[in-house]
Amino acid sequence: MSPEFDRDYSRIAVIGIGNVLLGDDGFGPLVVETFHCLYECPSTVEILDLGTPGLDIAPYMYDIDLVVIVDAVNAEEEPGTLCVYCEAELFSRHAQLRLTAHDPGVQESLVQLKLAGHAPKELIIVGVVPMSCVLGDGMSPSVLRASTGAVDRIARLLVERDVDCRRRFAPFQPNLWWLSGERSALAASA
Amino acid sequence: MTRVSIDPVTRIEGHLRIDVEVDGGAVQKAWASCTMWRGIETILRGRDAREGWVFAQRFCGVCTTVHAIASVRAVEDALQLEIPANAQYIRNLILIAHALHDHIVHFYHLSILDWVDITAIPKADAARAASLADGYSAWTGNSRAKLEEVQNKVNGLVGGGQLGIFSHGYWGHSAMHLSPEMNLIFFAHYLEALEFQRKACQVVGILGGKTPHIQNMAVGGVMNAINLNSLATMNMDRLGTLQSLLLDLIPFVQQAYFVDTCLLAASYPEWFHYGRGVANYLAVPDLPLDAKATQFALPGGVIVDGSLGSVLPIHDWRDEKFRDSVAEDVTHAWYRGDGALPPWKGKTEPDYTDFQENGKYTWVKAPRYNGRPMQVGPLSNILVGYATGHSLTRKWTDASFNKISAVHGSKTTPEDLQSTMGRHLARGIRSSMLCDLALEHWQLLADNILRGDDTTFNPPQFPSHEIAGVGMHEAPRGGLSHWVMIEKGNFSNYQAVVPTTWNASPRDAKGVPGPYESSLIGNPVSDPAKPLEVLRTVHSFDPCMACSCHTLDASGREIAQVKVL
Repeated sequence: MSPEFDRDYSRIAVIGIGNVLLGDDGFGPLVVETFHCLYECPSTVEILDLGTPGLDIAPYMYDIDLVVIVDAVNAEEEPGTLCVYCEAELFSRHAQLRLTAHDPGVQESLVQLKLAGHAPKELIIVGVVPMSCVLGDGMSPSVLRASTGAVDRIARLLVERDVDCRRRFAPFQPNLWWLSGERSALAASA
Repeated sequence: MTRVSIDPVTRIEGHLRIDVEVDGGAVQKAWASCTMWRGIETILRGRDAREGWVFAQRFCGVCTTVHAIASVRAVEDALQLEIPANAQYIRNLILIAHALHDHIVHFYHLSILDWVDITAIPKADAARAASLADGYSAWTGNSRAKLEEVQNKVNGLVGGGQLGIFSHGYWGHSAMHLSPEMNLIFFAHYLEALEFQRKACQVVGILGGKTPHIQNMAVGGVMNAINLNSLATMNMDRLGTLQSLLLDLIPFVQQAYFVDTCLLAASYPEWFHYGRGVANYLAVPDLPLDAKATQFALPGGVIVDGSLGSVLPIHDWRDEKFRDSVAEDVTHAWYRGDGALPPWKGKTEPDYTDFQENGKYTWVKAPRYNGRPMQVGPLSNILVGYATGHSLTRKWTDASFNKISAVHGSKTTPEDLQSTMGRHLARGIRSSMLCDLALEHWQLLADNILRGDDTTFNPPQFPSHEIAGVGMHEAPRGGLSHWVMIEKGNFSNYQAVVPTTWNASPRDAKGVPGPYESSLIGNPVSDPAKPLEVLRTVHSFDPCMACSCHTLDASGREIAQVKVL
């Protein structure tokens, strides 16, 4: 184990954010559902699909040691590109996030929790650049493909932090109720 | 004449643009525009009516449970399907916990920084603040040590120029006039609120299986298994956990939040004179007390032209007048058509123009009740309850008036509630009522289970002919109704008339503005470049346009927040 991860993480949350009804915005929920079905984690790891909670994300990060947020991100990259950010990057590069039209309230919630003394020790964002976030559009193939990489990336991030996260011997079938048949099959096979 | 455009309005859920024309230090004209398309209802057409609630609770990121409940109620109404008493009580407890969560977040995290100046906190005398707070409330979080701790944290932020997300507040604005000590007390509770917000979520999680998206709803009842002898179901242990969470949460609501709304009103009494706007109020009955939903703990009714002497009651969910009175006008909204249609016949066909102040300028339709715009929300709740002599409403409203008078010496009346400050006060009053009702409905559930009733579900049977239903719910932001048409078990039409649609409504065919718009007329604006006072009135409604797309913006692009044109 590398010394930079030498931390006692007794409570961990893997949080998917995004609206499943709005195309690629459903990336977060898709990835956490798939992760839960493919990987087995100790009971210290909570896996949550929070939809679009805005400021209401705070209670789910309260007193959690490690938070992994999976979300669609706006970055100057090709659609389907995976981007991983640490908390410092979130704050240093994007201090104005709260004023943007798509602010999910993550930063404000973190500042509140810090002031209150209940903030996560570490925060990681696993993001994907979306192609289209339009109502009822399903997910674009490049973003669906990126979800496989995101699932494995989460597992790696946890293992690097000494979390006993392993592939299930018999994986569950992900419940992707919001995707229509063919997309759902594609997502399951991805 | 100065034109100010606030786009987007921050510290709300979702995207809202407000345009005002200011002259002589006050707003003369106002427009509310929702800048994202909703119309998620189109996704529901053709789907199995039993699973509509699963999709409906994704309409909005923060109002999940309310759409789930309104959706199953609409289908049950169409089927005239009665649900078991246990299911009513479990849904009621979810309503209460979700509303408490929402009201706490709204007051502390979405509103209070319109009134509290963080940069004044370093000047506070923590000892004096503690003794002040002690005089107002028995809340245990007001000790000198706790307040000093908060002050030290804020000193670090302000002194080191590390205000971060708080750096965009209108600090030092001339309309902010709390003493440093009061600023400190409010901000200490802002931080404490996080813990109690979490407890309210846990209540929803225990009852709903998961939170924020509950898993236990069903057309016909709830899917909670009740068996006092099984560890895996709703048993005495689970009920005990629920009760202790509620007992942890209630003192914060009744001793900190409720008292803080009174203190804010006593500190800013001038805000009883602004923000009245549309004085027509609509509340739907909720918290049914029996399986058949004939009696309700929260009364429904309609008040017209602020006349508290004559309330038109809405007795129950089958109220015919309600069904006949609601229509949505799209004259000024980006949809095809130019008149008003009842929701069952409602259409959602987008027709985007640009922002045209005399034409179409928003994605929000204009709901009308017998042709009138209506204000919905806790204020409507409280006014209907107070005017009809509802004892729990009277108890907490009078307690609030007495508290304000004890602090400020002034007399407050139900008429005063029809204002920007009144909306905050009403939310505090409603929250305190909901705490009393939480324990009552917990007891109803426990007693019913102990009597041996373990039913939670009556299976639905769908006819092959077309049926129509409406599901009402008094959500945290006000009266919500889902209107459904069902054919052979599938939705043939689905329209949700949500609280923010009532409040953020644009003008209608007659040019009559909606509640946000008319509440801003006469609102003071001392500095058009810093329209703090406009935000106060808009925030007092608890806007929620969050049924919108959401993407984390990693590019750090800024959108101009305030444009003075």
